[in-house]
Amino acid sequence: MEGKLSHAAKKITLSSIQELSHLAQRCNAINLAEGFPDFPAPPHIKNAAVSAINSDLNQYRHVQGVCDLLAKAVKEMHGLDIDPLTDVAICCGQSEAFAAAIFATIDPGDEVILFDPSYETYEGCVALAGGVPIHVPLDPPQWTLDTSKLLRSFTERTKVVVLNSPHNPTGKVFTKEELEIIAGECCRRNCLAITDEVYEHITYDSLKHLSLASFPGMQERTVITSSLSKSFSVTGWRVGWAIAPAVLASAIQNIHARVTDCAPAPFQEAALTALRSPPEYFESLRRDYQSKRDYIVKLLAGVGFKIEFIPQGSFFLFAELPDNWSLSDVEFVKKLILEAGVVAVPGQGFFHTDLSSNEVSKINCHYQKRYVRFAFCKSDATLTMVAERLSKLLDEQEHLALH
Amino acid sequence: MTTENNETTIKKAHHPLQVAKRLVKFQKDWGGLTSEKDGTINLGRGYPNFDGPEFIKESAVQAIRDGKNQYAPGFGVPDLNIAIADRFKKDTGLVVDPDKEVTVTSGCLEAIAATVLGLINPGDEVILFSPLYDCYEANLSMAGAKITSITLQPPDFAVPIEKLKSIVSEKTRAILINTPHNPTGKMFTLEELNAIASLCIENDVLAFADEVYHKLAYDMEHISIASLPEMFERTVTMNSLAKTFNLTGWKIGWVIAPSHLTWGVRQAHAFLTFSTPNPLQCAAAVALRAPDSYYVELKRDYMAKRAILVEGLEIVGFKVFPPNGTFFVLADHTPFGLGNDVAFCEYLLKEVGVVAIPCSMFSMNSEEGKNLVRFVFCKDEETLRAAVERMKKKLRK
Repeated sequence: MEGKLSHAAKKITLSSIQELSHLAQRCNAINLAEGFPDFPAPPHIKNAAVSAINSDLNQYRHVQGVCDLLAKAVKEMHGLDIDPLTDVAICCGQSEAFAAAIFATIDPGDEVILFDPSYETYEGCVALAGGVPIHVPLDPPQWTLDTSKLLRSFTERTKVVVLNSPHNPTGKVFTKEELEIIAGECCRRNCLAITDEVYEHITYDSLKHLSLASFPGMQERTVITSSLSKSFSVTGWRVGWAIAPAVLASAIQNIHARVTDCAPAPFQEAALTALRSPPEYFESLRRDYQSKRDYIVKLLAGVGFKIEFIPQGSFFLFAELPDNWSLSDVEFVKKLILEAGVVAVPGQGFFHTDLSSNEVSKINCHYQKRYVRFAFCKSDATLTMVAERLSKLLDEQEHLALH
Repeated sequence: MTTENNETTIKKAHHPLQVAKRLVKFQKDWGGLTSEKDGTINLGRGYPNFDGPEFIKESAVQAIRDGKNQYAPGFGVPDLNIAIADRFKKDTGLVVDPDKEVTVTSGCLEAIAATVLGLINPGDEVILFSPLYDCYEANLSMAGAKITSITLQPPDFAVPIEKLKSIVSEKTRAILINTPHNPTGKMFTLEELNAIASLCIENDVLAFADEVYHKLAYDMEHISIASLPEMFERTVTMNSLAKTFNLTGWKIGWVIAPSHLTWGVRQAHAFLTFSTPNPLQCAAAVALRAPDSYYVELKRDYMAKRAILVEGLEIVGFKVFPPNGTFFVLADHTPFGLGNDVAFCEYLLKEVGVVAIPCSMFSMNSEEGKNLVRFVFCKDEETLRAAVERMKKKLRK
């Protein structure tokens, strides 16, 4: 019966993040792997959802108010003027917004440029639509964009460039210069861009998140995708959106209408409250996450990790295993689960650069098995407990010693 | 460095601002025309104007307060998977593994999308019965399937079994059935299902069964094709909370299939929506454990509504095809001499203030269905009576 599976399904494998999650659950490990908070969602937003359910707002709905608020937000944050009636599609999470955007634009054989390392879902989605993912590696340890690598990746078949900033797993926030280069190429080659901006409100050290769509020539060719999940700590509510010029937004809306038809009604309603949160809410979000970032960077650097790149955004730390450790990232994480009762994600799952291509030699790719991603979207109590568990496994140099 | 200089724009073979070819025919959306604000009575789209049961809503509220607001496991909150399996056993006698054979999706619609994208390859043939819920065609198009359809004709919309036999070939990958059926309200009989099952088994074809209206079954028992001999291993059964519990906006659906087929469904689901709302899943588990009395009352209520609308439409002068299930009814509008179904519906909206949907919108062949329009009766009784009154006043043969 395996013969009944589609080609696309056969190519894609079970999420490695989820597999390690199962092992971690069995060992009762502290979960610094999956990117969701273990602290409660903001009360004012939960109350809004409760109120919506009790007010019988539970049937198929499109809450136009969400689009209106999003139009206001992109104007304030990025100076973009959009029409909330035609340029916004409300979807079941950024996941569905992205999938719909891909299905709306990719024909079989079309190429999609992705920056590596990258969130594993993008590639799977592109494959599902029959597209060809082309990965452009960012250069460690600062995850900088090498313009020549980017330029070499474009072909006649390139249709879309996917940009995730702030970036999962590295925590990089693409600079203005980098965005100008990417924008320039998109315009020059008449390509589309799909952005994933779910971490848009989680940036540090007064760094501003810039949307690719705000660069000259880009608004007309960019689909912005984002969601409530990370900004409001409600990853389980599945309310997201795509913002794009009317032709694209309408196509995305049509796909969405045939895949799920409607984002969860009561949570669309609660989105109205969330999107009206005052500036103080976002400042406090950033402040809290920054202090968690500082804590985890200090902790892990202190026990021997090489942290040459401090996260500028998102709630992930992409830490490098020290040179004197011979373990691979996967072996390391397994031991971390079994001995320390802490789980993180081996970095290799985020790298896709083809090892056999002429571009990349075996030596250059060694780094791909030397990173571990830690999520620090956890309560202070949880992070303190991680510190305690690690402290029990230190050697004389106060470095983590796993067997 | 950016450029708006046309000379440096590299010429492309394609035009980026057009949508993918697969979508071109699906631009129009009739459902968008409906509105309650201006006093029209909406018997067009299939969602109730009354709400779901309190005990389920309270359960969702409690889940939100208990902090169930983060990612649920991608394939479903374990307790919901168990509740789905238990309910399926009660309904069909089949025992399924909640971990390996049940997947939660964002509504039955995503169940369909994930099933099609996860199991159908470009060029695979899929057989559909027309008229049909329009989303099947769109999803199959996205998967690059080759669609063949068989028309179900009034008055009884019986499956033309000989015709079906003649079009099944070795290229056929799946037969998609929707029972109870939207828009005809037909329920596939045991004889029809057995015939379809035999063809599936003989030709190694999968069955995709959309059973979202399974509890809105009035005149006969709903039969799941998965429960017929040798069918479980080749059937994907799809369902949701929406129609059974009048919560169409929650988008909690599921797929039940043997593990080797569930695998494909799960891959697609992971990239379509990744996971389904957590607190609403918790409430769904409570919903599926509702006592039998809930279903008895649901059926009774809908049968009363059916009576009001069917009798009302007959008095008004339609030729009505009373449904055995669902909350849809097809009626022949030609006695009113207002042209085709689209023209009739436009007249009905403008002059009578009632929304119905032209049946040609549901037909694979746009020439079909022109004599028929679809009404829904998932509305409170007062609304249904009011709609009938309006039509009595303003529709003349």
